[in-house]
Amino acid sequence: MAGMEGTLEKLKILADSAKYDVSCSSSGVGRKNGGGMGSAVAAGICHSWSADGRCISLLKILFTNKCVYDCEYCVNRRTADVARASFEPEELVDLTMEFYRRNYIEGLFLSSAVEVSPDYTAERIMRALVILREQHKFYGYIHAKIIPGVSPELVHRIGLLADRLSVNIEMPSSESLGLLAPQKKPKGIFAPMKQITGTLAEQKNLRVGGNKYSKLKQQGPLDLKYLDPQQDMTGQGGLMDINGYPLAVREKQGSYKVKFAPAGQTTQMIIGASPESDRHIVKTSETLYKAFHLKRVYFSAYIPVVNSPKLPDLFTAPPLEREHRLYQADWLLRFYGFTADEILDDKNPNLDMELDPKVSWALRNLEHFPMEINKASMEELLRIPGIGSVSAMRIVRQRRMAAVRFDDLKKLGVVVKRAKYFITCLGRYHGDEEIAPDKIRTRLLPDGGEKQLSMFSGGGLTQLQGSGAKAGQISPQQERRAIP
Amino acid sequence: MDYLYDGTFEGFLCCIYAHYHEEKASGIYPAGEYQQNLLSSFKVVEKEERKAAIVYSAIGKKICKPALDRVYSVFLSSEKNKENILLQYIRLGFKVGPGINSLHQHPFVFDAQKIERQINAEVHRYAGLLRFSVITAPGAMPGQEDDREILYAVIEPDHDVVELMADHFCDRYKWDPFIIHDKRREKALFSYGGDWYISELPRDVEVNLSGSEKDYRLLWKNYFHAIAIKERTNPRCQKNLMPVRYWKNLTEMR
Repeated sequence: MAGMEGTLEKLKILADSAKYDVSCSSSGVGRKNGGGMGSAVAAGICHSWSADGRCISLLKILFTNKCVYDCEYCVNRRTADVARASFEPEELVDLTMEFYRRNYIEGLFLSSAVEVSPDYTAERIMRALVILREQHKFYGYIHAKIIPGVSPELVHRIGLLADRLSVNIEMPSSESLGLLAPQKKPKGIFAPMKQITGTLAEQKNLRVGGNKYSKLKQQGPLDLKYLDPQQDMTGQGGLMDINGYPLAVREKQGSYKVKFAPAGQTTQMIIGASPESDRHIVKTSETLYKAFHLKRVYFSAYIPVVNSPKLPDLFTAPPLEREHRLYQADWLLRFYGFTADEILDDKNPNLDMELDPKVSWALRNLEHFPMEINKASMEELLRIPGIGSVSAMRIVRQRRMAAVRFDDLKKLGVVVKRAKYFITCLGRYHGDEEIAPDKIRTRLLPDGGEKQLSMFSGGGLTQLQGSGAKAGQISPQQERRAIP
Repeated sequence: MDYLYDGTFEGFLCCIYAHYHEEKASGIYPAGEYQQNLLSSFKVVEKEERKAAIVYSAIGKKICKPALDRVYSVFLSSEKNKENILLQYIRLGFKVGPGINSLHQHPFVFDAQKIERQINAEVHRYAGLLRFSVITAPGAMPGQEDDREILYAVIEPDHDVVELMADHFCDRYKWDPFIIHDKRREKALFSYGGDWYISELPRDVEVNLSGSEKDYRLLWKNYFHAIAIKERTNPRCQKNLMPVRYWKNLTEMR
């Protein structure tokens, strides 16, 4: 291959710069090969897993890391002393096609630093996508990043080429954005988001993430102070109409031949670089889902890359456990019919790091429990810790044929050791503890049962100390796993 | 009566036929692996296409299409006792009909569904973990003298899933001829233009890598290492999601 050395060097630099982008999913669109190379699978396909345990599905890469912006938290900010490189569109296309052909990847996730101006960068991104789609008849997955401040025409044309678009909101509040990324303005971020949502609505292809039990579809006045506490965003040019209702619900008639971003749009924000509470973050993502009908809101635990008075110092560990709990809360929003106000309230502004948010909710609302497995509705079943959407569906299906017995639960996929404190089965309670928040809590803590047992066994005290130290630790497995 | 068959799906269906039309089966075993014992007599069932077809359509019609797919998937597994799990499953299916799909807790159904899930999981995993190499072969196409590029992949799956992978890859690489070689079972899937067939292929075949193959492998390996965030290194999570037994055929892990 000609120019191999140069390409290798660019690939290293630009992949290294792209690695902090969270999303790598290739889901949301199913498509057959239309006469060239490639197809898309609605569920998405992971092709490999890197050493950090994150899946590699798309060739996630920056077009360039030469940036004119100076965002505090970013490795590629203008003032950073890092190696810089840019791809030529043809070079990047060749790389994508050859990787795709060898089944290394599911498609391309193209992002970029801002070289010269947002529009200049977006034009180059678009050129690469045009070559892929039109010259090479590429039918694989493309996720394109929209840089805040790009003109609407370019957003539209990129959307016609890509499967998924994302505009990063970067920070959970506009104050943090103003402090850490002064060149990015909330309006610049929300304008393309709103445009994408609007186009999807016109094409009648607007579907919010989550399943049919989520409450994110319900429209109503939104609590906007979580998005932008300073600006009033209703009325003229904002996200909302004059009454505070999201604009996304307006649908126009019309038929379109080419689909615009069929896999919808996502966004991502950095966790732990700014002082917002978990409640604020969960509330912001709920508002984003409701206002823009996003498919996903991704969180990225901040990894210190620079010493700055505005940021946590360089030796702060990335808040991985917090990120994990936030994702669990996000799942509750999208698949379990919870609202942000139920997950956290003003009295409990932060997520419990030791228990998942569904258990925490259940312990705060014990009056709903125990629920009878054979009588509870689907919505109620989804609220029981240890029961996921699949096992809830199986329970509902099976009890039409015969009552569900306690012994069946494990086979149906229920995590019995967690669920047993919150259910009755054929009228009988199987939890070996009375229903009191603190007692169940002790049992559900990591190693909680062990701690209790060790009181009675031989070297009680030493073992107690041992397991106590372990309780706070994070098992690496827990990361990136949904709550069952 | 224990029924023995020749190891093919048709042969297995003929055993089911015999179970209903001759003596009840106490077990079904592949002829080569059967160990005779004093307690039960056995009979080798001859393969007959007509009988197999009757059972095949009966499962599809009287139970349901998903059950037929499940029976076939489970048959492709390398589970030791699969014939008897299927026998119990099919017998129950003929009794209860399509409702069998809801009986998740029933031990016969549970076993069959569990194996089916394993098969589907492996097929899905290979959709991602399969790695093609571009090889060259002289005159690969009829009436063609020049070297032609072909995609070639080696897999060693736990179950006999190469056939279930065909649709996905045939559509995706429609205009690239490719071979997926199951080294464990010495068979391979050959495909071009959306059509495919499966044929025997010995374990040791020599292939000529194309000129740029090494370069792209190197690029991919470098990409793979560059994309990991070192502050988040988590080998246990990686191994959980990408079991080590697949690593030897993965370009980036070699």
